[in-house]
Amino acid sequence: MKYSLSFALNGFSVDALVKPTDTLLDVLREKLGVVSVKRGCDTGDCGACTVLLNGEPIRSCLTIALTVAGKKVETLEGLIKDGDLHPLQKSFHEHYAAQCGFCTPGMLMSAKALMDKNPKPTRKEIVEAISGNLCRCGAYQEIAEAIEVVAKGPGKE
Amino acid sequence: MKDTLYFAQTNVRETLKLLNQYGRKATILAGGTDLVPKINYYEFKPDILVFIGDLGLDYIREKGGKLLIGAATPMAKIAASKLVAKKASALADAARQAGTAAVRTVATIGGNLANASPAADLAPPLLAMGAELLLLNAKGRRRVPLKDFFKGPGKTMLKAEELIAEISIPVPKGRTVFLKLGKRKAMTLSVVNVAVWVDMEGKKCREARIAVGSVAPTPLRCTQAEALLIGKGVDKELIAQCATAAMAASKPIDDQRATAWYRKQAGTALVARALAQAAGLENE
Repeated sequence: MKYSLSFALNGFSVDALVKPTDTLLDVLREKLGVVSVKRGCDTGDCGACTVLLNGEPIRSCLTIALTVAGKKVETLEGLIKDGDLHPLQKSFHEHYAAQCGFCTPGMLMSAKALMDKNPKPTRKEIVEAISGNLCRCGAYQEIAEAIEVVAKGPGKE
Repeated sequence: MKDTLYFAQTNVRETLKLLNQYGRKATILAGGTDLVPKINYYEFKPDILVFIGDLGLDYIREKGGKLLIGAATPMAKIAASKLVAKKASALADAARQAGTAAVRTVATIGGNLANASPAADLAPPLLAMGAELLLLNAKGRRRVPLKDFFKGPGKTMLKAEELIAEISIPVPKGRTVFLKLGKRKAMTLSVVNVAVWVDMEGKKCREARIAVGSVAPTPLRCTQAEALLIGKGVDKELIAQCATAAMAASKPIDDQRATAWYRKQAGTALVARALAQAAGLENE
């Protein structure tokens, strides 16, 4: 049995026909073509599938898709505004905060969730916010630094 | 294989009717953080999913000396609540350390209890504070002390047609402390977790409760250890005795996270540290 699902994806209303056992990750990647959201572990441990639900970070692999009906989902695709990278994306680029890049979308969404609530986080708060996002290249220092630079504002590097 | 059916009501009564109608076939879905990995790996296929996230069971309030928390309240909300931090700080600390941010957004207090993991982080503080569960079914309701709720790993006294609606916590006098030891700081199951509640009158202990997790088939209240403290003058020596007694009641196992031996040692140290903090002796 399939059910029709509607929700707001990066500000646009989207629809899909989904099974109750489909996760939000399944629907984003396989039905809606949103491939920034990565499938890492499918158990919620790695953080590569992190997206925002009504502004809060969630694991899309742990989320039954039908439960987001009528809610707002944000992915990396929504960070670019009018062709400009989000300040966090620019900073990741400038600080070499990625090697293979697989964890990057999840890292950016966790960082965005933090900074939307707390625009001037401390290093400790930054590290805490991305503590559920694994980077197997080990770029943690660069990632935390990239976020910290944005938190401190321009010219405070 | 039959298709899974999905229901998401906005009304508790309708949901209870469904649970009554479908019994064991219905699986309650709240945050899904324990359930969905099993579905993803084909370990479990539900016949019917009943989502309870839109039933209005997401609230924290104080009424008549009790803290009332809706069963579908996410851990993030409990961790951020000023009311919980003020009235039941051990519960706020436990919620803050559970999982990671993206898990706490959706993982609920009711789910943490209903899944009956021996390592559930919210269980020890709720046990130590004498929490009670409100269970509803289509025909009525019952109140169950949390200490009677757990029956084994993954097993509780919740019947198929029942729903946990609310957790009520008598606001404790004195101090509560929660401490957790994991393999790392974030996104980790507890190797051992401990919660204590101590009410002191000067150096004398008026009331004490100790609960430990991850060291027995269910989260455990350590009543024999508590009895050593109540009515006594508390010092470091008595706390050490009490911590040893608390872990004497435990039955830890060897698993991938730690050995039974290590759990006993670490548990003893954590109980002692938590008691010292709660009794105001940590700097002595």
